[in-house]
Amino acid sequence: MVRRAGGPPSRILYGVIELQHLTKRYGGTLAVDDLSFTVEPGHVTGFLGPNGAGKSTTMRLILGLDAPTSGQALVNGRGYTSLRKPMREVGALLDAGAVHGGRSAYNHLLCLARTNDIGPKRVVEVLEQVGLAGVARKRVGGFSLGMKQRLGIAVALLGDPGILMFDEPVNGLDPDGVRWIRDLMRSLAAEGRTILLSSHLMSEMALTAERIVIVGRGKLIIEATVAELTARYPSLEDAYMALTSDSVQFGAAR
Amino acid sequence: MKAVLSSEWVKLRSVASTFHTIGAAAAMVVLGIAWTVYVGALADERGMLRAAAPEEGFLPLVQMSLAVLGVLTITSEHATGMIRTSLVTVPRRSTLFLAKAGIVALATLATAMSVLLLTYVTSRLIAGERHLGFNESAFTNDLPMLLASGLSVTALALVGLGLGAAMRSTAGALVSVVSLLFVLPGVINYLPPPWNTRIAALLLPNLVPQIASERMSSRLGDGYLPPWAALAVLFAYPLITLTIGYYALKRKDA
Repeated sequence: MVRRAGGPPSRILYGVIELQHLTKRYGGTLAVDDLSFTVEPGHVTGFLGPNGAGKSTTMRLILGLDAPTSGQALVNGRGYTSLRKPMREVGALLDAGAVHGGRSAYNHLLCLARTNDIGPKRVVEVLEQVGLAGVARKRVGGFSLGMKQRLGIAVALLGDPGILMFDEPVNGLDPDGVRWIRDLMRSLAAEGRTILLSSHLMSEMALTAERIVIVGRGKLIIEATVAELTARYPSLEDAYMALTSDSVQFGAAR
Repeated sequence: MKAVLSSEWVKLRSVASTFHTIGAAAAMVVLGIAWTVYVGALADERGMLRAAAPEEGFLPLVQMSLAVLGVLTITSEHATGMIRTSLVTVPRRSTLFLAKAGIVALATLATAMSVLLLTYVTSRLIAGERHLGFNESAFTNDLPMLLASGLSVTALALVGLGLGAAMRSTAGALVSVVSLLFVLPGVINYLPPPWNTRIAALLLPNLVPQIASERMSSRLGDGYLPPWAALAVLFAYPLITLTIGYYALKRKDA
């Protein structure tokens, strides 16, 4: 299925997410406006911006859930929808609630694993890794938000991918869970993986991320390291507030 | 494709709604037994009578139950957001949709044929040597009707899947299926002849007797379509609705 125009990739970059003039228009609103940046392996890249800034839309565009109006997003030098076994290259958690509540955690993971020829052994492994082994046979509908977040992270980890994207993974997690996510993100990055992480918790982001991408109204505001930002401003939070003060609006929130 | 088929199979067998719809379809066996016992008792009083075959009379129950199965296969994913999780693991939407259609076709055909044959056999065994009308022809004569009935169930389930994908709404798709199966035939009955018979001949429920070269009903009389043409029209229903559903899934953002 052809959902994205463009010739063969000019160069293959392993473990890289590359946005080239990515634009998405919903009716009259530009949710993502000519966005270009690159996410590289080996560290956590924090993806920040006010509500409605286009973070989630950008992630949906990278994953081929939405078709861009123009521009393109490449993972490992290719469009996501052209990947044969995408779970082995990219893992993503967009919306922890996007599960059928009647299915057990094990069956939820199993049906997704099968699409990419991932065996049941790996399903059991990730269930243990995220701490859901004890409730593997329970219906997902009865899970708390924190448990659903862990299940969503398990889905992302199934294919042992080099690139991981998480949209607000600490939402609904207890302090234990927040620390667990922080350690998980850091260890995944230390293994040389590429991590794109969106969150509104600035203190958490300052602890976890090394690089920061801030967007506002669908446009790139700044791409910098956390060290650069905290050198110029008292804290990451102050940097964020100063840089996004013009961009707080409620755009095409989806 | 094999991987996605096996994933869809896990999805189907891991939710309760599948077993509820199959259970509702299997109620035909019980109703068939009750019907045969009832008309058998009447025949014992009067000597003989002409009763309708239970596997024909209760066919709409099986058609409706398994059409719900077809609808839910896709609309449960849209309702819960699971469709986005699915599309991240299988970004080729044609593959995902074809796998869904394949699993729905196999599951509904196997269920429908089992229920129909079981109803057929139990009702004939209970009828014994009584003259009930429906039990007085050989199995080979009844076979075309049984096969056509089974195919009609699968065709309707696929229509449900196609409409579900097009509308992304369980309620909307179900109302459309009910209209096709019950409302439209009822309305067409009251058109002035010969138009009632001409149009009714093209409607889903009336294709079954035409495929088996039998009378459509006492009110409508014989059909217009030879068996091969009726079979072609039966296949056209799912083909058209699945095409519409596929384009909706492919073109629209998930």
